[in-house]
Parts: sequence; structure tokens; C-alpha cells
Amino acid sequence: MQSIFFQERTLQLNPCAKHKLIRDSVRTFAETELAPVASAIDRAATFPREIIEKMRPLNYFGLQVPREYGGAALDSVSAAIVVEEISRVCAAIGLCVTVHNGVAVYPFLRFANAEQKKHYLPKLAEGELIGAFSLTEANAGSDSASVETTAVKRNDAYVLNGTKIFVTNGGVCDLALIFALTGSEQGKPQSSVFIVESKYPGFLRGELEDLCGMRANPVSSLFLEDCCVPENNVLGRIGDGMKIGLATLDNGRIGVAAQALGIAQGAFEAAVKYAKERQQFKKPIASLQTIQNYIADMATEIAAARLLLYRACSLKDEGMPFGCEASMAKLYCSTVASRVTSLAVQIHGGYGYSKEYDVERYFRDAKVTEIYEGTSEIQRMVIARSILSQLIL
Amino acid sequence: MKKNSKKSIWVFGDYRNYYQNRVTLQLIARAVALAKVIDAEVCALIFGHEIDEWIMEYTAHGADRILAIDDPALKSYSTEKYLAIIERLAGERDPEIILIGATDFGREFAPRLAKRLKTGLSADCVGLDIADDGLLLQIAPSFGGNMLAEIVTERHRPQMATVRPGTFKEIPHDNQRKALVERLPLMKNLPKPRVRLIEYERSVEKEHTIENASVIICGGRGMGNKEKFKKLQELARLLGGDVGATRPVVYAGWADHDALVGQAGKHIKPKLLFSFGISGAIQHTAGLGEAHFIIAINKNPQATMLKMADVAIIGDASDVLNHMIRELKKRIRE
Amino acid sequence: MLNLVVCLKQVPMVTELPWDEKTGTLRRDLAAGMMNPACKHALEAALQIKEHHPANITVITMGPPAAEEVLRESLALGADQAVLVCDRLLAGSDTFATSLILKEAIKKKCPKFDLILCGAYTADSETAQVGPQLAEELDLPAAAYVEKLEISGKTLRVRRLVDNFRETLEMEFPALVTISMENYKPRYTGLAGLESAFDKNGVVILDAKALGLTAASIEKKGSRTKVRKVFLRKTQKGNVLLQGAASAVVTEFLDKYQRKIGTVIGKSIEEKKSDEKK
Repeated sequence: MQSIFFQERTLQLNPCAKHKLIRDSVRTFAETELAPVASAIDRAATFPREIIEKMRPLNYFGLQVPREYGGAALDSVSAAIVVEEISRVCAAIGLCVTVHNGVAVYPFLRFANAEQKKHYLPKLAEGELIGAFSLTEANAGSDSASVETTAVKRNDAYVLNGTKIFVTNGGVCDLALIFALTGSEQGKPQSSVFIVESKYPGFLRGELEDLCGMRANPVSSLFLEDCCVPENNVLGRIGDGMKIGLATLDNGRIGVAAQALGIAQGAFEAAVKYAKERQQFKKPIASLQTIQNYIADMATEIAAARLLLYRACSLKDEGMPFGCEASMAKLYCSTVASRVTSLAVQIHGGYGYSKEYDVERYFRDAKVTEIYEGTSEIQRMVIARSILSQLIL
Repeated sequence: MKKNSKKSIWVFGDYRNYYQNRVTLQLIARAVALAKVIDAEVCALIFGHEIDEWIMEYTAHGADRILAIDDPALKSYSTEKYLAIIERLAGERDPEIILIGATDFGREFAPRLAKRLKTGLSADCVGLDIADDGLLLQIAPSFGGNMLAEIVTERHRPQMATVRPGTFKEIPHDNQRKALVERLPLMKNLPKPRVRLIEYERSVEKEHTIENASVIICGGRGMGNKEKFKKLQELARLLGGDVGATRPVVYAGWADHDALVGQAGKHIKPKLLFSFGISGAIQHTAGLGEAHFIIAINKNPQATMLKMADVAIIGDASDVLNHMIRELKKRIRE
Repeated sequence: MLNLVVCLKQVPMVTELPWDEKTGTLRRDLAAGMMNPACKHALEAALQIKEHHPANITVITMGPPAAEEVLRESLALGADQAVLVCDRLLAGSDTFATSLILKEAIKKKCPKFDLILCGAYTADSETAQVGPQLAEELDLPAAAYVEKLEISGKTLRVRRLVDNFRETLEMEFPALVTISMENYKPRYTGLAGLESAFDKNGVVILDAKALGLTAASIEKKGSRTKVRKVFLRKTQKGNVLLQGAASAVVTEFLDKYQRKIGTVIGKSIEEKKSDEKK
């Protein structure tokens, strides 16, 4: 998406100078490094390792990791801006960054012990280790309590067996957080989270998925076949699986919302640019009321989505509960992304359907934001439960 | 040395790329025209070693007087030495105007000289005239766009300006012309230079560069995107030319900085210049003065570039490019 | 410890700013600002020096309050101190006055500098004058359009290409260089330095009074030139206009100018006659 270099400054709702600089810096990187290859890596479904290497010294993999571990220690709005700006150009790489930061590194920050932090955080923050989070299984998607991967204690290790599917970053991750059954508690299944390094014997990657969108992201299955994990690699305590899972998903939602917002923003800018240039009936189509209505709706929805996202970020940074707001942000941003990208294709007419233009990629990329990290249906469930469980509305 | 009663317009002799770069001759020509209006003489300054050839050339191209200093110590250009020399000479002779070509050297030298002489300077002028009150009108681009400013130096002397190569036309060589040649010795007691020259050699890296290309295909933002811009290469290849770019295109990463054509970019003088999707901001067009024949393509009929062209084609730059490539492929044979 | 000073300028992001007919000035307020690209190269050169020698980098810019952004960006990239010279009085200064004002700021904030680095030219006015004029104000040995810097002790060696001549020059500190865009490709801004770059006291702001400058003194020692008139360029060449469908226009163009083009490129581009067999 060759946006006119730095000229589109639509809808920047954070006039804070620091956020502006972050946005400008990441946008420069994304437009210089990612934009030229975004289309090609999507077609070929290849992971651009060289560009990831360039991101590492810029701290894109340690967005909210404290300085003492080599991270950038950014606030949540800043981190969201980073994900948004990358996704605005290449959603698949935005996904890589947000999953690594949001659901692989974040659990370390919240639940790891001092030794684990010391051992893993610097390498994760530096991007030397790329992280993944694996909860989903063939029979456990929305129903995450139904995981069947097992972890059995043997001497001073746990032996893991099972299959995880649709693991984002799965094809390249050096480290994965694996949710496994470790027993039962009062009749209910008890799960725990294990830090599993890809180098452990018994850790196998499946074929890369052939997906509709986010194709440059190496999504794959992970097979654990008698994979031995040292007992020091239990994250938190045995039985903490649900607790860690819920907290992590709350946080992950913010990242995915930011990603969806970036996709919407990129498609929106392309649509406006096209509408101004494309002439039919001897005038630009941007002068037609229908197109103007579309543009107004897109702009308004993106603005509202951005506010929802930043509100969730602010609550998180203030240490307040933010799960419901994060769900709202994820739900709305992903819905808006699908709507805006569809309209963007429509505005481009026939050209929007052709791979010669980038907008059809945005359309394909947007859809999955309504599905992963908790489907829109699950998000509604979370929001409704949160409201109904309050004693006073 | 008593003050010369006649006013003097000095032109700095920037001779080292003489055959590629005719800016000194162009400035002498303009100075001659200006001198007629204010009743002045045109004086060329030449500082170097073994400079007889340039003395003859500048005489033949219109200078009335030559101030020449021929000394082995001046074998290679030196900003510091020239500053000291001109400071002395200007103090003695009080020139009315000093004109310097905006070569890389001139652009570094002139501002320092202006400061040294405590006078004003307009850089990269696209025109020079004399105002009704006798002041030098320095016409220079004004802040990005199609505006020009008329600038004067009211109270200070000399009035100074730098001018890009290609702005003016030189007076044809005439062996019969004569000039008063003053061969001055290198002054004693000049301050010791603080910048030492370690190496100095003509760069032969790029024999064929955009600067000596006879066909140039220039592209601007109207090309649309990087892929479409890159297609200009194909037309360039067919016509044996080079691709040039405007600044926005270079900053957008569609082309390298060494393809930049314009005031701050490469100095070009092609026989044929194609201008695809360029609106015509003065930073770009000021660098096109020496192009012989310009063909401009732009979808905006009001674009300045179209007005400056010999042939103006109204249409989408990328479309026209594709068609042109197709047609030429059919037509070209040895 | 080397004391480096980098002079920066914030320029408008849009290359063609709209003109306000009423006030006869540029609508600079409509464009966001960015660090002038050549200045970015100068800062990169300073950062690379710092990677090889213990050094302290002070960045200075003169401009409106918004210019603070480029200073914050510099701090995020690794500069140590930042100075903003900001005063209504100084707005509209030409290069002559700017070099004078920068001199005062440097004398005040980092008088014991070793090397001043400037961008070779700006994207908006491109005169390339401030660097050389600042060198003259401070009476420094200087070189413009530098591509490569080498420092050993107090000696600076520079390499540059000017007017097709490869030059290697040597001088002693204190000195001034202007950096071209040929080399010292600017690094991307990493995220780690950002929080500390926005420290409340990170940027020192100097007004005219702090520099000992008054309107009168700037008038007296400042601009020597005056703009008499600003006008729209008249650009009319008697030209041939072609328009229509792209393919038709191209055919018309090539038919009309085939001889001219053919002569220049040394090949014939005349249309094959239809009775010619392949």
C-alpha cells in the first residue's frame, strides 16, 4: 500500500508528541521495509526473515518489557500504535509482532518467576527468541477448557503429549507457551502453562497452513510427542492454566484490536486516494454522494474504534480491570476492519478485486480478526457476562 | 591602487570542469547585459596555475577585464585561499556586483565570501536584472512551489548572487575580442590555510552519468507508485537514456538519491527530456534550463510542467508510458 | 571526550505548500514537520562517531515551538542534549541571520565544541548556505558535502566528491562540516530511547533575550537582502498540445517527432509501411 509518504495524517487522535514520534518512526520503517514486499510475501506465503532481523534492534519485540530486561517499556497506547502502524502496511507481520508481545511475552511479565524472567525476557525482548501462544486444539477452539494435550510429571520434568493447531508464529517460533491438562480439581479439568522451547526433543512443527489471509505469517500446528519440559518451566503454578489463559487473552485482545484498526486505516486511506483519482462521468468518484457516504461512515467507525482501543489501553495502564473494554475494542475493531475493507474493495470497483491493487489483501486479512483471539461471538459473551455480573449497572 | 571610477561586475572563474560546465561563460554573458544598463565593466577572476587557456577563453566569451593570479600554490581549488584573495581585492577595488556559478564549489564558497565581505547573497538565482533604481534584482525561487522572489541588497556592497548552470546563454566565442588582463602576484601575508589538501583527483567513476545523458526520462509522483515508476527504465533502455526523479519520488523511495534532478540534484543537459507525471515545482524545473527539447506528460492540464514543454501531452503518465514503450518496440530498428 | 554539535532544521512535510493569497505567505501551518533529510544524515554521522569515540552530542534547532519534535527525535536516536532557539523575533530570518543566531546559541550552550555537523542543504529552501556561513561566523575551517569523516585525536580527515573531483581534506578541531546525502544513511528510530527522550527537562529553550539579541541587533547584523516582490512564475513556451486516448496520442506524437527522436537516439523509429513483409 504505497501511501503518499507521510502525507495522510487522518484520524490521529493522540496529539501527544511521544505518540506522534512513535507513529512516525514505525510508519517510516513499515513503508520503507515492509511496503515493497507486502504483496509478494502474501502471494508466496513466505515469512520475511530479513525484515524481522531489522526489527529486532528497534525493540519491536520488547514493546512493554521493562528496560532492565532490554525492552522499550512503552505504555499500552504506544504499543498499540506500533502494532497498528505495522498492520497498516502488512497485517501478517503486525500479527507476528502483536502475538509475540501480547500473548507470548505478556504472560512472562505477569506470571514468570525471577529466574524465568532473567533467563527468557532479554532474549524475547531482543527478538532472539520469537514467541507463540498455543491454546487452540482441534476440539478446543472457543471451548478452551476442553484441551486434550496432557502434561505428566516424570522425575524432574513434565512430559507433554498433544497437538496444537492454528498456532500463529508456529512455523518459526523458538518458544511456545503450551496449555496442557495436568489433572483435575474437584471434578473439573485442571490445566497449566508450560514454557516449551522449540529445541526440546519431541517438539515438532506441522505444515504451514494455507490460509485466506495473513499468509506471510507462518501459522502451523505444533506436535508434542513425549516432549520433556524441565519442571522449572512451569509458568506460574500447576493449575494456573485458566487464570493465565484468561489474563493473557484479555491482553491479547488489545493487540488484535490494534491490528484490525491498522488494517482498516490502511484500506481506508487507499480507498480515499482512489476515490479522488478515479474519474467516471467526467469527475472524480469522490464527488458522488454514495462514495462520500461510504467515506464518512468509514472515517467515523475507525475513529470510534480507535477510541475504544485507547480506552482499553488506558485502563490497563492504570491497573484497572480492562477485560470487558478489551473485548469491546476487539469486537468493534475487527467488525470495522471487515466492513471498511469490504467497502474499500467496492470503491475500487473491478480493480479492487484484482491483485494488482493491495486492497483485496486487506479484505482477506481483515476477516480473521473477527475469528482469532476469541471469536466475535465469544467477545459478546464476555461483554454480556461482565455487564450482567455487575451488582450495580 | 586607486579606486577604478567605473563600476565593476566580477564573475568568479570556476574553470575546473570547463568543458562540461559553462557556467562562468554564461555568467559573463549575463554580466555583459547587466553592465550595459549600469555602465559597468565585466571582470573575470581567475586564480590558479597555468591559466592562460582560461584567460583566452573568458576574453573570447565577453569579459572586459581579467584579474588573474597564476601561482603554483593555487594549483587546486581552495575555499580558504580564494576567500583571502578576494577579500583583499574587493577591499582595494570595491566591486559593485560579484556573480558566482552555483556549482558544488560555488555553493560552499559564495555564502562564506558574502559573510566575509559582510554583504547579502541570493543563492540559485533563476534570473538577474537591473531595477529602475540601479540595484541588482536577484530573482530566486521562493519556498517550494511556483513563486519567485525579487530580492535586492539595498545598502551593502558588493551585491552577490549565485546562479545555476544553464540559466543563461553564453556569448559565442570570438577570437577578435580583447580584454584588459591584469596579472597579479599572489599576495604575501595571506593567513595560513587551516584546511590541508591530502588528495585531489578527477573522479572517473561514472563515465556515463545522467549529467551527460542526451536522453533523460524524468518521473514524478504522477507515476502513481514504485512499480509504475520503475517502468520508466524500460523507456530509458529503448531510447538509450537515463531515468531521473523529482524530490518527492526520491523521498518516497521510488528512486535513489543519485537520480534526483533539480536545483539540488544533478545538473542535466539532455537533448531530449521526457517528463512523466511531474507538476513542475521550481525546485525541479530550475534544473532543466539546458534541456533542448522537453516532452511533458501530465493528466492535469494546468500543470506548470506542461507550459514549460515543447510538447505537452495530457493524459495519465503511466498509461502514456506503457503505450509509448509498446509503440517504440514495434518501430525501433538499427 | 569529543563535543559534537549537530544543527538541525525542521522542514514542512509537503513539498508544495499552498499559498495564502491574502497574506502573501506560505500556509506552513497546513503541513506537519519532519527533520530535514540532510540533517538526519548529519545526525547519523555524529551517532556513528559516538559509536567509535567517547562523544557528547548536542543538537540545536531554530524554529517555532513545533520544532521541538525534531529535537526529541534526536534524543531518542542517541543525542545527549537538545537546544531549541525559539522566539517570534527570529521568525523569517534568512540564512545570514540564522547563522548569526546559531553562533550565539552555540557560544552559549556548548562553547567548547570540537566539531559542528550540519546537513548540506534543506529540502525547503535548498540554499546550502547556513553551514558555510556559520563556519565563517565562528571562523572555523570547514568542508561542505562531506561523505566520510575520520577522526584521530584532534585531526579530522574528510572525503568528498565535489564537481566531479574526489577530495580528501584534513583540518584540526574545532571545525565544521556539512554532510551530503550520499553516505551516513539514517538509522531507524528504535523504541527504547523514546520514554527518556520526552523527559520534561530534555530540551533547553532559548529566546532572543537569552542569546543577547534584540530586534535592533538582528536588524543591524542580520539579513542583508530584502524581498521586494513575490510573483507567480510566467512559464510559457510556445508548445504543441496533444490530448486524447493514450494510444492515439502516442501514435500522433511518434509520427510527428520520429525524425527528431531518431536522430538523437541514432536509430530509426519510422513506422514500417504496411506492404513490407516480415
